[in-house]
Amino acid sequence: MADKKRYGFVIDISRCIDCRACQVACSLENSVPLNHTRIWIHDQGVQGTFPKLSRTFVPYNCMHCEHPPCIEVCVSGATYKDPNNGLVLVDQEACIGCGFCVEACPYDARYLDEKLGVVDKCNGCIQRVEIGQKPACVATCLGGSRLFGDLNDPASDVSIALKNAKSLFRLDIEGKDIDTDPNIYFINAPQSLTSLVTSDAFKQQGQAVPREPKYTISEEGWKKVLVPAIAAGIGASFLVQATYFTKQLIEGEKEFDE
Amino acid sequence: MPNTLSRRDFLKVGGAALGALTVSRFVPPRVVAAARTAGLLDQNGDGYIPTMCEMCVWRCGVLAKVEEGRVVKLEGNPDHPNSKGKLCARGQSGLMNTYDPDRVLTPLIRVGQRGEGKFRKASWDEALDVVAANMLKIKEQYGAQAMIFSSTHNLSQVQFENLLYAFGSPNYGTQRSLCFNAMVTAFSLTYGIEEPSRDYTSVKYILLTGRNLLEAISTSETSDLMDAVARGAKLVVLDPRFTKTASKATEWLPIRPGTDLAFILAMINVIVTEKLGDCEFTARYAVGCDKLPAHIAFYTPEWAAKKTGIEADTIRRIAREFAAAMPDALAHPGWRTSNFINSFQTERAIATLNAIVGNVLTPGGCLNAENPEASGITLGKPSQPPYPRLSSLRLDGVPWKYPLVPLKLGVFQELRDAVLTGQPYQAHGWFIARQNPVLSLPDRQKTLEAFGKMDFIVTVDIIMNDSAWFSDVVLPEASYLERYDPLLPVSGKVFIRQPVIEPQGEAQSALWIYKQLGERLGLGDFFQYQDEEDYIRQQLAPLGNYSLEELRLHGYVEPPAKEKSQEITFNTPSGKVEVYSETLANAGYPALPTWEEPPSPNADQFYLLTGKVGQHTQMGTQNNQLLHKYEDYPRLWMNPEAADKLGLKDWELVEVTSEVGSVKVPVQVTPAIRADCVYLTPGYGHLSKGLRTAYGDGVSDSVLHVTYVDPVSGGQALSQTFVTVKKA
Amino acid sequence: MSKPRMGSYKNISIVERRRLREKKYKKHNLANILTHWFNVGMWALLLPTGIAIISSPRLGLSPVWMQELFRNMFGGAANLIKFHYTIGFLWIFVLLFNVLLGFRKYFVPFAISRMLLDKDDIQWLKTKPLQMLGLMKDKTLPPQDAYNAGQKLYMYVVILGTLGIMVSGPVMALKTLFPPIVKQIAQPLHWVSVFAIVAGVIIHVYMGAIFPEEKEAFFSMFGGKVSAWYARAHHEKWYWEKVQEEMDWEEEVAREIESAAGADPQPAPAKSGD
Repeated sequence: MADKKRYGFVIDISRCIDCRACQVACSLENSVPLNHTRIWIHDQGVQGTFPKLSRTFVPYNCMHCEHPPCIEVCVSGATYKDPNNGLVLVDQEACIGCGFCVEACPYDARYLDEKLGVVDKCNGCIQRVEIGQKPACVATCLGGSRLFGDLNDPASDVSIALKNAKSLFRLDIEGKDIDTDPNIYFINAPQSLTSLVTSDAFKQQGQAVPREPKYTISEEGWKKVLVPAIAAGIGASFLVQATYFTKQLIEGEKEFDE
Repeated sequence: MPNTLSRRDFLKVGGAALGALTVSRFVPPRVVAAARTAGLLDQNGDGYIPTMCEMCVWRCGVLAKVEEGRVVKLEGNPDHPNSKGKLCARGQSGLMNTYDPDRVLTPLIRVGQRGEGKFRKASWDEALDVVAANMLKIKEQYGAQAMIFSSTHNLSQVQFENLLYAFGSPNYGTQRSLCFNAMVTAFSLTYGIEEPSRDYTSVKYILLTGRNLLEAISTSETSDLMDAVARGAKLVVLDPRFTKTASKATEWLPIRPGTDLAFILAMINVIVTEKLGDCEFTARYAVGCDKLPAHIAFYTPEWAAKKTGIEADTIRRIAREFAAAMPDALAHPGWRTSNFINSFQTERAIATLNAIVGNVLTPGGCLNAENPEASGITLGKPSQPPYPRLSSLRLDGVPWKYPLVPLKLGVFQELRDAVLTGQPYQAHGWFIARQNPVLSLPDRQKTLEAFGKMDFIVTVDIIMNDSAWFSDVVLPEASYLERYDPLLPVSGKVFIRQPVIEPQGEAQSALWIYKQLGERLGLGDFFQYQDEEDYIRQQLAPLGNYSLEELRLHGYVEPPAKEKSQEITFNTPSGKVEVYSETLANAGYPALPTWEEPPSPNADQFYLLTGKVGQHTQMGTQNNQLLHKYEDYPRLWMNPEAADKLGLKDWELVEVTSEVGSVKVPVQVTPAIRADCVYLTPGYGHLSKGLRTAYGDGVSDSVLHVTYVDPVSGGQALSQTFVTVKKA
Repeated sequence: MSKPRMGSYKNISIVERRRLREKKYKKHNLANILTHWFNVGMWALLLPTGIAIISSPRLGLSPVWMQELFRNMFGGAANLIKFHYTIGFLWIFVLLFNVLLGFRKYFVPFAISRMLLDKDDIQWLKTKPLQMLGLMKDKTLPPQDAYNAGQKLYMYVVILGTLGIMVSGPVMALKTLFPPIVKQIAQPLHWVSVFAIVAGVIIHVYMGAIFPEEKEAFFSMFGGKVSAWYARAHHEKWYWEKVQEEMDWEEEVAREIESAAGADPQPAPAKSGD
């Protein structure tokens, strides 16, 4: 499957000027409700002491992970990874808006559209990409920070940018049962990206990205207790029937065979 | 891109019969029919229409995506040199201005007290009759000069000026004296051009003073700057604030406010005394460079260090680096540069600094002594009789008080004193178009008092801005996506702003409003065009055989370029770059760039800095819901050192007091500002309750600003206000 | 007519048995039968689609091949879930309609006469499971109503489960009406309800359709009638109720004839076959 596409973003940290044109463009292109956004610009604020200061902006959106925790928890199959291009998409007609995926996403890249009762997120502007346009955020990025394209294609903008990158970071989460393997590559950051996005201040505000994925207690509970219990129940009823049936076979059906 | 159909579009074409029904229901036929004739929309009314942005004055080319008679998305037009396919946050959000729930959709006539916000809806005929009757009454009783006209830079301004000159009033207020008077006057006197364009293609060294290019965004220039920085160009930013621009700079120098002039003079001193400049260029194209060494000798880096707070060695090093990068070094002329009363001299010094490194007009030079808007294209205009002779003085003191300020710039902020004192005569009426003087002028209280002296105020705008709130009649203008405006030449192309949707409500274009009003004022001869399209056809006529449809289809026409003369000439009296200006000398001002000491605050006071954010344009976009969504809450920036002294914590409410007013605002403790300065994002603190999104959001710095006028350029010294801060 | 000892059907003579076999009692009315089979049909559509919808690998409630099969069959997750919604709402609507329509006439009397547990039922519940495991074989089961205690118990499970499904299903389907937390709780409620019913349905189907002894019960779901012999054997209490009913009826008829004979003698009406 060498010709399979793997769409992803490359974000040049050194070129983001926090102008927020991407956010506005995205909001309009995708009719994002006014109380939500699909793109965030992580800003730790001004660092250092006067006059030795620095400030770095880290824009991000859905990372279109290779192993997305959101898909793991989706009960209706609404969230899926497009087999043709690797984008993590939401089929809103199948979505019931339960929000398990919102809690699971370690990047907080999903939101619940209260009006439609469904979950929404960055879709890589697939509606534009399909007809040869760039995603809205990429097309209008003033600083030239955002790039989008096929990471499997060595001639794509993103591959070229990756090749020439001075530094490379991903906000990967690796744990005992998780490895998101995100498809946003941050390049040319002045320092370790993790220190930029997971500072104590952010953690206090609950804004650190990435965070530990949350799986609700109930959901864990189902898996650990209820599912085996139900399986055992069904199994037992089968067992009882089988015994009974066998017993009947052995004893014969006297009453009815007169 | 404009001709690509989405999959959905194809489906829609398939259902054309059904689509036709939909369109006839949603879209009145005029705009759609015209756009279809021009080949821009499919049967269903979907497609891309090229037009021009009006979210700031940079005027990017826009491709408006239209679906069933609604604009759904705006894209930067790749064919337009100002946008190059991109739009900033404001440009992207433009359609939210059009679809603002607070749009004024019918003419309104005041019924309550002024400022109560009680209006009744009126027909255009009634509203225009009322306006005309009042204007004629004032003209009869007090003379035409008793009407003030004010409007902010816009494409229909030519017809606004037509209206006021035909009416016979000399009193014309523009935003320019609150903005770039210093730059425009200084560069006009030095290069003979108002605003030289900048070329970043080969630039290696950029010096930004008073230009926060990454927050005060000019789409193409901001992109170009980021490309240059990514390429490895050095970026030096002089700013008392650590702006987003400073965060991308190679070097940020937190200079004391008002002393940029000293820094530049010291740079000139180093370059001239160490003979690092481009002697060949200066010898050929400049006058007065020979007088420089003696004049500049006093302005040593050591002297400048005391003024600016920047070490002499740093100044010397930057001057040498700047000269070493010659001619690929650029000292940016700035934009809204009227910060202190010495800003004019600062601009003169910047002009001189560029001249002595020979980066002007040369191949690969960074400054083009060419107005980006003129491009040597002359548009046609409807014929009209000569204007009546103006016999009365201008209330803003030009030229009798400010001899060097160009008439079309004016000194807007001076008008109010004349209104309040009745000297040299009393004004009685105010015609405001697409402007919000209540918030834009310094010292808001004074503006409101001046409003109180008026017998009649009329405002033309698309929303109920603060000035409209205090007006007697409000005329609803069509938004920039709903109307035609006169053509605009940019870089050899002539661009059009055309309606992409039908005007909402009863909104009408400025061209229509001025013509209707002109006719009611008996000035019909000055408005000899049938409608907007006829006006544009008359503009197109001298360019060649272009049809309006062709222009509409592509968004621009490109007349054959005129031969550029090989000889470089400057539109100055000497025809050269006037480092030494005879004109200035004759008017009694220093002929060479000269240090002027700006006032400084007392020990308990702070400089009140003003600036820009990338999400808003002045005070005009705060009601845009999308920009509101992505803005930062405007707080008073204060250095931790100063905050400690006053015992202030982050987000604590403080009272900021200047000599004209005081506001209460939460403080933002940040190291990103000098300890002797505070900063407030302008444009907030709207008074109009007709702006439901913006009302109650933030405070207005115009309450605090004291009116100071630069005597040479007439520019308002916006950073010269000093304030005290205490716990509220 | 003296009642023989309850539960002692094994010593009934062959002639009597034949007579009982010929004789039919009506156990289900047409509405019940139709509702039952409607329910069966809906469940046959809802259960597999429902299982195939639950895709979460973290829960692992349904096999991947099944998810893929059904998604391919229906053309995507959205269509699958929409189908489930549509059938689900149809099921809820018809079932509720039937129940509400016959609530006072059928449901309430049914619930009172056939669903309440009595002492015998408790006894049955104590004995039957042990017997099924091969214990206490010598102990005879107490006589049962039209539905035995197991069936009665299961009826409660079904009614509660059905209500659970009917509430939790629309909560998830009408996604705009409820906050996410409600939808999160609705999911396990939906599944548990379904599983509880399904666990019983397996026995129900097995007993009804496959287990030879209960053949009549199966066919009664088409014709609505069971033989008196079957009733006598499996639902003895109900059988005697029926017998009592018949006797009461005969007495009444006899009384009528008597009183009529006094005034206006008429031939006795033919005995209705019920």
